[in-house]
Amino acid sequence: MKQLFAPFANMSRKVIYLLVIGQLLVALMLWHNLSHGLIPKPIKIAENFFALLPTKVFWDNILVSLVLTLKAMAISILVTLFFAYLSVVPFFSGLAKFLVKCRYLTLTGLIFVFTLLTQDGSQLKLSLLVFGIVPFFVTSFLSVITSIKNQEYDLCKTLRYNRWQTLYEVIIIGKADQVLEIIRQNFAISWLMITMVEGLSMSEGGIGTLLIKYNKYNDLGNVLAIQLSIFLLGLFFDFLLGFLKKWLFPYTKLQTQ
Amino acid sequence: MVVPLHKTSNTIAMMEYRKEEILLKAEKINLFFGEKQVLRDIDLCIKNIVRPGVTQGQVVSLLGRSGIGKTQLFRILSGLQKPTSGTVTGIDNKPIMQGDMGVVFQNYYLFEWRTIRQSLELAAKKNPQLKPTDIKDQIDQQAQLFNLTEHLNKYPQQLSGGQRQRASIIQQLLNGSNFLLLDEPFSGLDVIMLEKVVELLLKVSLSDELKTLILVSHDIETSVALADTTFILAQEDGKPGATIIKEVDLCERELAWEKDVKNKKEFANTVQEIKALL
Ligand SMILES: Nc1ncnc2c1ncn2[C@@H]1O[C@H](COP(=O)(O)OP(=O)(O)OP(=O)(O)O)[C@@H](O)[C@H]1O
Ligand SMILES: [Mg+2]
Repeated sequence: MKQLFAPFANMSRKVIYLLVIGQLLVALMLWHNLSHGLIPKPIKIAENFFALLPTKVFWDNILVSLVLTLKAMAISILVTLFFAYLSVVPFFSGLAKFLVKCRYLTLTGLIFVFTLLTQDGSQLKLSLLVFGIVPFFVTSFLSVITSIKNQEYDLCKTLRYNRWQTLYEVIIIGKADQVLEIIRQNFAISWLMITMVEGLSMSEGGIGTLLIKYNKYNDLGNVLAIQLSIFLLGLFFDFLLGFLKKWLFPYTKLQTQ
Repeated sequence: MVVPLHKTSNTIAMMEYRKEEILLKAEKINLFFGEKQVLRDIDLCIKNIVRPGVTQGQVVSLLGRSGIGKTQLFRILSGLQKPTSGTVTGIDNKPIMQGDMGVVFQNYYLFEWRTIRQSLELAAKKNPQLKPTDIKDQIDQQAQLFNLTEHLNKYPQQLSGGQRQRASIIQQLLNGSNFLLLDEPFSGLDVIMLEKVVELLLKVSLSDELKTLILVSHDIETSVALADTTFILAQEDGKPGATIIKEVDLCERELAWEKDVKNKKEFANTVQEIKALL
C-alpha cells in the first residue's frame, strides 16, 4: 500500500490497470451523484453514445473528418520532413526556424486570407489544417535534430561518409522512429483542430459540424457522446501508432526498457 | 620466462628493425577552449617501422592522467577537431582529413538503429579495397575472430560493453583505414578480456606493414607492453596546458614485440619511470 505513493516504485501491470479502472469508476460515480439537471449523467451519455453508434449520419461524419485529418497529416508530414531534413542546410535553416514561430499565429485571423487563396470549402479546411499542424510538427522534429549527439556525426566522419550520407544515415534513417513518435504526439493537435476547422465550412459535414449542430439545440447528451467518440478514436490512433513504432523500429523498444 | 643464454643472439636478431618514412606528424599543436589552454606545443612523429621477415605495423601509445587532454589530442590527430594552431600531416606531408583514421571512441558509440551486421556492412562498403562480393565473407570472418558471430543480428543496445567495443573495432577495421585510434581500449575490461583485446590489437598490428594503432590510455603497463613507442602527455611546471614531455622508444629498450615483456626487469623500470613522470 505504501508502495503506491512511493516515487519510482515499480508496480505490476495488473495493479496499474486495477488502479486506473478503480479511479475511473470513482470519477464516474462522483459525476453520476453530483450532476443535477444541466450536465447529463454518465449513463445518459452512454445511452446517447450507443444510440449514435448504429446511425449512418454518425459514421459518415466520422469518415469525413478522419479522411480530412489523415490527408492533412500526410501533407504536413511531407512538408515537415522536407524542411526539417533541410534545416541542417544553412540556406533552409532560417525558413525552418520561421515555421516554428508560426505556432504563435492564430488560425482565426488567417481564415479570410485562406478563403481568398483557396477555391472551395474542402481546400480551405485542408490548407487551414496543414497550416495549423506544420509548425507543431516542425517544432518537435527540429528539437529531435538539435538533440542529436555529436558522436553520431563523428562516427559518420570517421567512416568517411560525406555530408549528404551523414544526413541520410543520422537524421533520415536514424530518426525515422521519432517521426512516428511526433505524429503520435501531434495527432492530438490535428484532431483538436479538425472540429474547429469544420465549423468554418460546414457544407461537407464532419464530426465538428455534427458537434456544432447538437450544440445549437442544446443537446448536451449527444454533444458529450460525440466528445466520447472523438476521445476514443484519439486513443485508438495513439495505440495504433505506438504499435506501428514498435513493429517498424524494434530498437526503440529496447531503449525504453 | 627467462631467455636462456645461448638464445640471446637469436633474440637480438629478432629485434632488428629500421625506422623509415614518416606516417604521421603533428607539429606545434596548440588547443585552447576560450582562455584555457589544454594542449601546448605538441610535436610528435610516427615512422614506419620495418622488421625483416615480419609484416610489422606500428603501435603507439599516448599516456596521461585523466583530464589531461588525451581525448582532445586524439580528436585532433584524427582530424575530427581543428587545433587552435598547428598541423597534422600524414604520408607525403598530406594534411590529415577526417575519415583518414578509424576511430574507436571512449564509449564505443555505434548507430543505435542499425544491427551490428548492418553497421559492419555500411562500414565495409566504404572500403575501396573490399569488393562488394567479399563483404559478407569478410564480416563473417571478422565476427568469428572477435567472438561476435551470435550477436551480428542484435542492436547495440543488446550488447555488453566489451562486445560493443569489439564491434566498433571490427567496424573500423572493415572500413579500411591504415590508422586506428582507440580511446581507452582497456577500461572496463576484466583480466581475461583485457588479454583478448591485447591479443587482438597485436593481430591487427601484424596485419599490414602500414597499419598503425594509436592507443590512448591511462593503463601504463598494458600500453607499454603492447606499444613500440609511448608518448607521455603531462603538464610542465608553471606552464599552461599539457604537452608531450617524453617519448619512450620501446624498440630501443628491447621492450617491443615480445610476448613476455612484462617479466623483463627493464619493463618494470620503464613503467616506474613513466609513473614518476605522470
Ligand atoms: N568542450 C570543452 N570545453 C572546455 N573544456 C573542455 C572541453 N572538452 C574538454 N575540455 C577540457 O579539456 C581537458 C582535457 O579533456 P580530455 O577529454 O582530453 O581528457 P582526457 O585526458 O581524455 O581524460 P580521461 O582520461 O578522463 O578521458 C579537460 O580538462 C576538460 O575539462
Ligand atoms: Mg579521454
